[in-house]
Amino acid sequence: MYRMSRREALVAAGAASLWLAGCSSAGAKKSGLNLSANKVGAMGSFGVGDQFKATKSLTFPILHLTNPGYPLKKDWLFWSELTKRTNVTLDTTEVPLSDYENKRSLLIGSGQAPLIIPKTYPGQEAPFVASGVALPVSDYIDLMPNFKDKVAKWNLGGDLDTLRQADGKFYLLPGLHQDVWTDYSLAVRTDVLTKMNLKVPTTWDEVRTLLQSLKSGGATSTYPFSDRWGVPTPGGNLLNIIGQAYGAPGGWGYANATWDTKAKKYVFTGAMDQFKQMLQFLHSLVADKLLDPESFTQSDDNAIQKFVSGKSLVISTNAQTVVNPYRTNLTTSIPGATVVKIPVPIGPMGAVKAGSRLENGVMVLKKARDSENFVAMMQFIDWLWYSDAGQVFSKWGVEGVTYTGSVEAGTLKLAPDVNWAGLNPSGTKLLNKDFGFFNGVFAYGGSTKLLNTQFPAEEQAFQKVMTGRKTLPVAPPYPFTADEREQATLWETPLKDYVTQNALKFILGQRDFGQWDAYVNELKGKNSGAYIDLVNKAQQRFAKTKG
Amino acid sequence: MRNARLWEPRPTRAYRAFKLVNAAVLIGIVILTVYPFVNIIARSFSSETFIQTGQVNLVPRGFNLTTYRIVISDPMFWTNYRNTVVYTTVATAISMVLTTCYAYVLSKKKLWGRSVLVWIAVFTLFFTGGLIPNYILVTSLGLVDTIWAIVLPNAISVFNLLVMKSFFENMPPELEEAAEVDGVDTYRILLRIVLPLSKAVIATMTLFYAVSFWNSWFTAFLYLDHADLFPVTMYLRNLIAGATGASAAGAASGDLTQAAANIQSVTIVLIVLPIVLVYPFIQRYFVSGVTLGSVKG
Repeated sequence: MYRMSRREALVAAGAASLWLAGCSSAGAKKSGLNLSANKVGAMGSFGVGDQFKATKSLTFPILHLTNPGYPLKKDWLFWSELTKRTNVTLDTTEVPLSDYENKRSLLIGSGQAPLIIPKTYPGQEAPFVASGVALPVSDYIDLMPNFKDKVAKWNLGGDLDTLRQADGKFYLLPGLHQDVWTDYSLAVRTDVLTKMNLKVPTTWDEVRTLLQSLKSGGATSTYPFSDRWGVPTPGGNLLNIIGQAYGAPGGWGYANATWDTKAKKYVFTGAMDQFKQMLQFLHSLVADKLLDPESFTQSDDNAIQKFVSGKSLVISTNAQTVVNPYRTNLTTSIPGATVVKIPVPIGPMGAVKAGSRLENGVMVLKKARDSENFVAMMQFIDWLWYSDAGQVFSKWGVEGVTYTGSVEAGTLKLAPDVNWAGLNPSGTKLLNKDFGFFNGVFAYGGSTKLLNTQFPAEEQAFQKVMTGRKTLPVAPPYPFTADEREQATLWETPLKDYVTQNALKFILGQRDFGQWDAYVNELKGKNSGAYIDLVNKAQQRFAKTKG
Repeated sequence: MRNARLWEPRPTRAYRAFKLVNAAVLIGIVILTVYPFVNIIARSFSSETFIQTGQVNLVPRGFNLTTYRIVISDPMFWTNYRNTVVYTTVATAISMVLTTCYAYVLSKKKLWGRSVLVWIAVFTLFFTGGLIPNYILVTSLGLVDTIWAIVLPNAISVFNLLVMKSFFENMPPELEEAAEVDGVDTYRILLRIVLPLSKAVIATMTLFYAVSFWNSWFTAFLYLDHADLFPVTMYLRNLIAGATGASAAGAASGDLTQAAANIQSVTIVLIVLPIVLVYPFIQRYFVSGVTLGSVKG
């Protein structure tokens, strides 16, 4: 109670003052593109592959998310090497991971925020755009050759469009991936499969058959599949990956509007036939007692307990959780147990993968535009976050000290005394904790080759299968105007809640599929139709102005 | 003993039944409240596998001290722990001085403008400047990122102030009058007569303040920008939020895997320990202090 009210107060206060700040400053300044007064410290020519080095020593203020796994240390090699290479020192405002978003709102709202704000996820910049404190970075990407190069090379224009606001500009420099990176899938107890002579499933129908065999073969006395990641989003991962296989993502991936490629317009996700089919599939698993009905709401700890004690044999996973806690605990609690992360099962959509190639990224405050070092700052951001050299530096550190070999040749290895995520178990120092590299604030995105360097052989095999799948095109953007956004926000949350609520009822059998039409009508009563009209209107308007 | 018994009314059957049920219910409540705490302690000494498989209840399983060793060897934990001790001590001292003076003044009915002073305090119970204005105020005063941002705002808790005020009001005025007749001035009356007679309420208020400063993380979250200034509650909060991130941070090898599983319980035990140790000694003042302040009024 106590914490909620504080949080709510914080958010409300933040929003209110941002709105006020927006009112007072809107139109006061014009962001012209004449940068002659802002070039102090900048390099005269800075291109792809160039090492950025400021012509004089500079300090940039930055918001730094402090991860409890590797709390910030001032003597990290990262800081000294960064200054050596770029002549730039970063002045950090440290915010614990637990409260990063709240503190960011507070600092920006009170006008005390540092100019560079990393760790901002696509969409999170929207309130700061409305209030006019975020810099329209799209106006300045000419200062960022590496960013431009990667967008062109990897054909990311469509992805970037999803960030554009109604004015056609984007206000966030996102992390860029060469390919859609799939991490979440199912973990399966392979020792039981081998014992019972069963195969690893490749499709969702095979998953069903497998669960039936496990159940009838007596491999478990309860449910063979009991899932995690149900809190706070019920069925967060499961509804997402299975929804993608059916063409209508739920869970973490749920958005009220889904692009219908055939009709060339948006439709309401929760009312789609594909969504219904997905729910019917899951309902059949629950009805046959193959899937634990608690899967959608139990705590992660409960689900993990069931899995590592052998009560369940299938559970959601990512590259990290399959190793720890699953494997490390299984090997001690059940001798001979093995577990692998299987390639994401395929559904009616075929061998495809969907998702965004954009990661969390950097927001720059508008007042940075007035700084005499503005150009140098943009060049610095471009080098550190978007150049190949900068990405290898922030991820793996210094060649000969923390790693050897090269990314391009696929020979990159950690130095003998350095460890990261168990890649080099004999290493005594940790790459992130002791050196400050592989820090989530700076290291993300990049080429598939760079991404592969961080995986053990097992995960590389998984990635190889996933890379072979076709990537679905990105849905066209539908940026709202300020008024539309206000209206849309009023409709979005109740609709989403209602869909989630009823999806669970259908899956668990509390509501019969005979009532599907009634359910769709109830959604209409909650303005699903009006919402989709609004989305389509915005999409067409954007397509017209852009086209 | 025998004689005393004679005076007691003979307990009826219903009364005995009531006592039995009463005892049972109260024991049940005690178990409910103590269980989570004992469980946390048991987990802090257990090995990872037993925790993950849900086999730890009241007794540690797979006893080990690895996580204690790791947490204790983290210099940041001790830096933050020291901060908490310093903040709590300084903040409690400041709060006690300010609250006592304010409360004593307000307890004097003859004071001119007393009701205005009362209302200034009570007003803040209903209306506050709001978060961002407060933040801007503290920033403009140059307090951000210093200990003063933690100890000065919220130095006076209006609730504590009112309890203390009514305690002072209930003190027999004759005592102070007698002192006045003997020629003692106001300050010496407060220091020599009133305060020594107010040990109960002072102990209670000190405990109230100390516990709330010890547990608080919100002001630190607002006003501190560097991890070496954070109190240990921020350390714990970040740890719990990042519990899943701990594996992401590269904790795959033996010792650190163990740490990720019960690091929260170990930290909770270490943080709660001082409060748990101090509580029993102050508790007797605690009950009398609070009731003395309120009931007689």
